[in-house]
Amino acid sequence: MSSTTLDPSRRGAQSGAGDVPARRMSGTSAGPGPSFLRVLNSEFIKFRTLLSTLILLGCTVLVVVGFGALSAWGTGQFAEAAATDPEAAAAFASQGGDLAVGVPTSGIAFAQLILGSLGVLLMSSEFTTGMARSTFAAVPKRIPAYAAKLLVVMVTAFVLTAASVYLAGLVALPILDNYNLELDLASSQSVKMLLVNSLYVAAVAAIGMALGSLIRNSAGGIMSLVGLFFVAPIAFQLIPGDFFVEARKYLPGNTVEPMTAVQHVPDTLEAWQAAMVLGAWVVIPVVLAAVLLKKRDV
Amino acid sequence: MIEARGLTKVYGEKTAVAGVNFTVEAGRVTGFLGPNGAGKSTTMRMIMGLDRPTSGTVTVNGAPFARHAAPLRDVGALLDAKAVHTSRSAYNHLLAMAATHSIPKKRVHDVIEMTGLADVAKKKVGGFSLGMGQRLGIAAALLGDPQTVILDEPVNGLDPEGVVWVRNLVKYLASEGRTVFLSSHLMSEMAVTADHLIVIGRGRIIADAPIQEIITGRGQIRTRVRTDQPDRLMHLLAGDGVSVELQENELLEVTGLDPRQIARAALDSRVMVYELTPLQASLEEAYMELTKDEVEYHSLITTGAAAPVQSGGN
Repeated sequence: MSSTTLDPSRRGAQSGAGDVPARRMSGTSAGPGPSFLRVLNSEFIKFRTLLSTLILLGCTVLVVVGFGALSAWGTGQFAEAAATDPEAAAAFASQGGDLAVGVPTSGIAFAQLILGSLGVLLMSSEFTTGMARSTFAAVPKRIPAYAAKLLVVMVTAFVLTAASVYLAGLVALPILDNYNLELDLASSQSVKMLLVNSLYVAAVAAIGMALGSLIRNSAGGIMSLVGLFFVAPIAFQLIPGDFFVEARKYLPGNTVEPMTAVQHVPDTLEAWQAAMVLGAWVVIPVVLAAVLLKKRDV
Repeated sequence: MIEARGLTKVYGEKTAVAGVNFTVEAGRVTGFLGPNGAGKSTTMRMIMGLDRPTSGTVTVNGAPFARHAAPLRDVGALLDAKAVHTSRSAYNHLLAMAATHSIPKKRVHDVIEMTGLADVAKKKVGGFSLGMGQRLGIAAALLGDPQTVILDEPVNGLDPEGVVWVRNLVKYLASEGRTVFLSSHLMSEMAVTADHLIVIGRGRIIADAPIQEIITGRGQIRTRVRTDQPDRLMHLLAGDGVSVELQENELLEVTGLDPRQIARAALDSRVMVYELTPLQASLEEAYMELTKDEVEYHSLITTGAAAPVQSGGN
């Protein structure tokens, strides 16, 4: 038995076996178990104690606000050109004339990529780091932990996108004003754009999390997400044939426009149809991932 | 109490655990000994509900782990020293674990103190040494003050002081009436830590007995004898089932007779004996003996598998 301890800071560790548990371990194991609220609290602690998560959230705000400002400037330039150049004026008119209302959400494509990847990472890192063994030993029913993580990811994505879009609008206002363009952040179209886009990003984050859970690999999950949201739309456009023209409408990334259109554009989905399509894109992978998570070994 | 009945796990072609039955009783340290790849970790993961058994059942205190109302308060496990997100601090990891069962922050601080992690608790786990990772794993296992403690290879990577600490800790936990199930491939550690031993090899239980029985149960009694008339004594002791070996001048090793019989023979013939020491087989010898049987048995079916099993157990 080593009774000499060179490092005094370790003394506690050595004597711990003898006296510390004696005081602290009562031997009773009665106490509360993992209710959904407790698991939610745990998942929120896990979420906010990773620096990489906080960095990605910060990046999302920067990108959305940055693109809002850039887009406000670009839209202003466009409007200015339209005032003097008839060709530009025609192009400007064909856009429906009201480009300013889309300025605050111009960074959404990037926000969805970042928060979608975050969704993948939060789940895949559980498996790549071995954390999943701790998580599912504490919550052996597994589904409550999965649902709690999903809720944390979706609510965060929604709130953060909504706040970033609003902030982007506030930043864009003086720039647009400079070009005599009007933007009313309280108009029903602005509110609709903000809510639909925020819901959409929350949906992408949920799809990302489901992919992370199904694939259990960070790179593979993120690549699948990029494939679905960035590669598939382009590929579907390049492949000839009516099927792909039709199928393209049902890609998750193409559901936002029909949902935010001021009036229905011919040959696109109705708003409610687009919402159903996006809903299916979320529900199917999320449920599939939950079923497999319950079945597979950790 | 942990009970496994017909517990089997098959991964594709490979049978990791082949229908094992065992019971881990409360109030004593039960060692789970076997070479690497024998199925120890797989069995422990099945106890914790992380791996689904292909067939058979395993229960803790009468119910499968997943059915427990407060799992962390009933069973604490160290299954993998790095079952932690590497970018999170040890404190936050334990805090998140504790939150699932509303375990108070004070308890988190207590287990950090208890495991000697106070200095590094706020640092990222990714930078931990293997020994620190083990301490964190043990801290997580003790978080819920569980009645049953399962530790997979807890002394791996620990410094000698840490090894002694784990040894005292598990003995203490068992003395409080808890169920302690501890795996290792280190027999020397088991010999001084465990009260009861379950030996597993190639997914099968080879032995399940008190440690003393495993050490003495196999092999014959050997006795070391020193005498100034070794040749005469050798002649006197010779007989069926007895082997006497002259190891050096005046030193004999006798197998097949107990010390009383040797002393009687020497006394009857007035041969002076100045040392008579019963030699106990080491656990290591007993273990090699046990796994040798297992290897020989299997070599009838799969030749060439003997080498890794034997080398894993030394």
